[in-house]
Amino acid sequence: MNSASNYFLPVLILLASAPCVCAEEEFSFDLEKFEKKMLQWKGYAELKWEHMDINHGSAFSLLNPSTSSSTLDRYTGSLQIDGRYDRGMSSINWLVKAAAWQDSIGWYDTTDVYEAYLSVKAPPSFTGTLGKKSYKWGKGYAWNPVGFINRPKDPNNPEEALEGYITTGADLIKSFTGSVQTAALTTVVLPVWEDVNDDFGVPDNINIAAKLYFLYKDTDIDLLFATGNSRSTRYGLDFSRNLASNFEIHGEAAFTPNHKKITLHNDGSLATNTQSTFSYLLGLRHLTENNITSIIEYYHNDGGYTAKEMGRFFQLVADGESQFLSSNVSILLDKAREISLKGYGKAQPGRNYLYGRFTHKEPFDILYCSPGITTIFNLDDRSYSLSPEMVYTGFTNWELRVRFSYLAGPSFSEFGEKLHSNKLELRVRFFF
Amino acid sequence: MTLHKICNPAGLTATVAIFFYFVASSQSFALDGNEILRQVDNNMQPQSYEMYRKLINIEPDGTAKEFVLYTVKKGQDKMVALFLSPASEKGRSTLRLGDNMWLYIPNVGKPLRITSLQSVVGGIFINSDILRLDYQVEYNAEKVTDQGESYLLELTAKSPSVAYATLKMEVDKKNVLPTSIECYAISGMLIKTLHYSKLKDFGNGLVRPSQLTTDSPLHKGYRSVMLFAKVHKKEFADEVFSLNYMSKVDELR
Repeated sequence: MNSASNYFLPVLILLASAPCVCAEEEFSFDLEKFEKKMLQWKGYAELKWEHMDINHGSAFSLLNPSTSSSTLDRYTGSLQIDGRYDRGMSSINWLVKAAAWQDSIGWYDTTDVYEAYLSVKAPPSFTGTLGKKSYKWGKGYAWNPVGFINRPKDPNNPEEALEGYITTGADLIKSFTGSVQTAALTTVVLPVWEDVNDDFGVPDNINIAAKLYFLYKDTDIDLLFATGNSRSTRYGLDFSRNLASNFEIHGEAAFTPNHKKITLHNDGSLATNTQSTFSYLLGLRHLTENNITSIIEYYHNDGGYTAKEMGRFFQLVADGESQFLSSNVSILLDKAREISLKGYGKAQPGRNYLYGRFTHKEPFDILYCSPGITTIFNLDDRSYSLSPEMVYTGFTNWELRVRFSYLAGPSFSEFGEKLHSNKLELRVRFFF
Repeated sequence: MTLHKICNPAGLTATVAIFFYFVASSQSFALDGNEILRQVDNNMQPQSYEMYRKLINIEPDGTAKEFVLYTVKKGQDKMVALFLSPASEKGRSTLRLGDNMWLYIPNVGKPLRITSLQSVVGGIFINSDILRLDYQVEYNAEKVTDQGESYLLELTAKSPSVAYATLKMEVDKKNVLPTSIECYAISGMLIKTLHYSKLKDFGNGLVRPSQLTTDSPLHKGYRSVMLFAKVHKKEFADEVFSLNYMSKVDELR
């Protein structure tokens, strides 16, 4: 054996034994830094860049004349902080969000207190709250027809925090042995006065909402109710159940006997009609063996606008554009802008939607990487949005997301008349 | 000993008694897999307890991602875990009641049903590893093999909703504690192997492994480790294990 092999052989043996060394490695677990503190807070800072191709000639581009260029770039920075201060049986909770963005139209900034409430507990069965609090009722992922006191969520980002309402609430929980394992009653009083929850509905009213939850034979069931003169009285039911270790189903149904709907008529007049509506949602969540999660939901919004009703609105915008081009008068466009704020300009104003979200967790053994695709399909006018994305969470406390949204549909359809035809978004979040 | 002595009535009675004693004794020594499984559960944790865990996902290049959870359990099928770290997961909680599992994300603000095969932490641990019920709740021991210093239990899931269809559990005879568990899918494919190690005295007579390492042929080169600390017996109200309480789990600490 020569001298070189005298050196290499021990090195090779050491290298070969490296996995054994790893198997014996020591892991530490210092619990001191996880001791509970009276004051706790956390949050995230976010930077986002969005590039949009403006859908020139579409109804909503005509209603937003400031978007005259063919593209729009927007840079957004935001900060969300939530926290809690515990003292005895009570705690003070808060969630604040601040954001500022710059685009080719201008600079905007906003700071909002999403939540700020006092919570008093008689653990573990009773909790009372007073202050601004966000409620998220319903089992649906993209929509919640039974979310009677929820703010509407963005189906493209349904996991974002939402602003609450100023309420007082009580939560009672009781566990049982038998078919009903748990029952919980949540009651909420929501006043609407000038400058207090005034975007909820008609002012100078006290509204009451309640949710009775059961875990019955491995099925989550909620019975919901909301009444008061700010909005019409409504009744709801939702459920959720695991059919297998990889398969969940859920549903919601809401009945509103006197739903008020503002509708644009052929003669250009607006009328408020009262009708009873029955809205519902059916959904499933499925996980395949190769780690693809599918969320599929069908949503029927009985109070939404039909394709014909939406067509009337889009025709008004088109007529307004013609009027403006021929006579430089914007009466019809101004009217359309006003009407868009009364329901026609909502995120999903139609009646029947299909939602699909498919994510593949850690494909090809690439840890913390999740490609996905989300689609929202308006079943009435055959328009849709399609948003492929990639999320990476491999760096501790960092989340990177790149998403492209493509919107398409015939003229006078929901997604065919949106402000932009596609959007590229790059989002970086740092959690602290 | 003479034939006369054996054949006398007193001697015969004694012989028959000894014979039946050994027959009866040999039956009581027969290996009862479900009894061993029950002892394993009793030795692994008290019926109602709290504990802290650190989960470490290790990639082939050595990069590691850590999660810290506070966990409470009551009885055989009620469990809730709260994420304390990292910041991106802090405040999330997962609840298990029998076959039912939910995930609460503070931003989302409501519990979502999840399935046992999903993973809220990524890596090799799935939800049913993180919210593991007592083995005897989910499995029947079909076969026991005496391997000298250990038993090999072959366990079959009691229902199709259990994440792993069969387990092969090696149990150390001396401490009646698991040392390794092979987890198989219903197709017979090996999904992962769990290795328990580092016996530790947690107080009050609880001596059990403080480290769980897992590897999987489906994730070659990747490993996940679970470290256990402060496993203490503690009583909790049933209401703690409910959807409405998921946002308040930190109050139990």
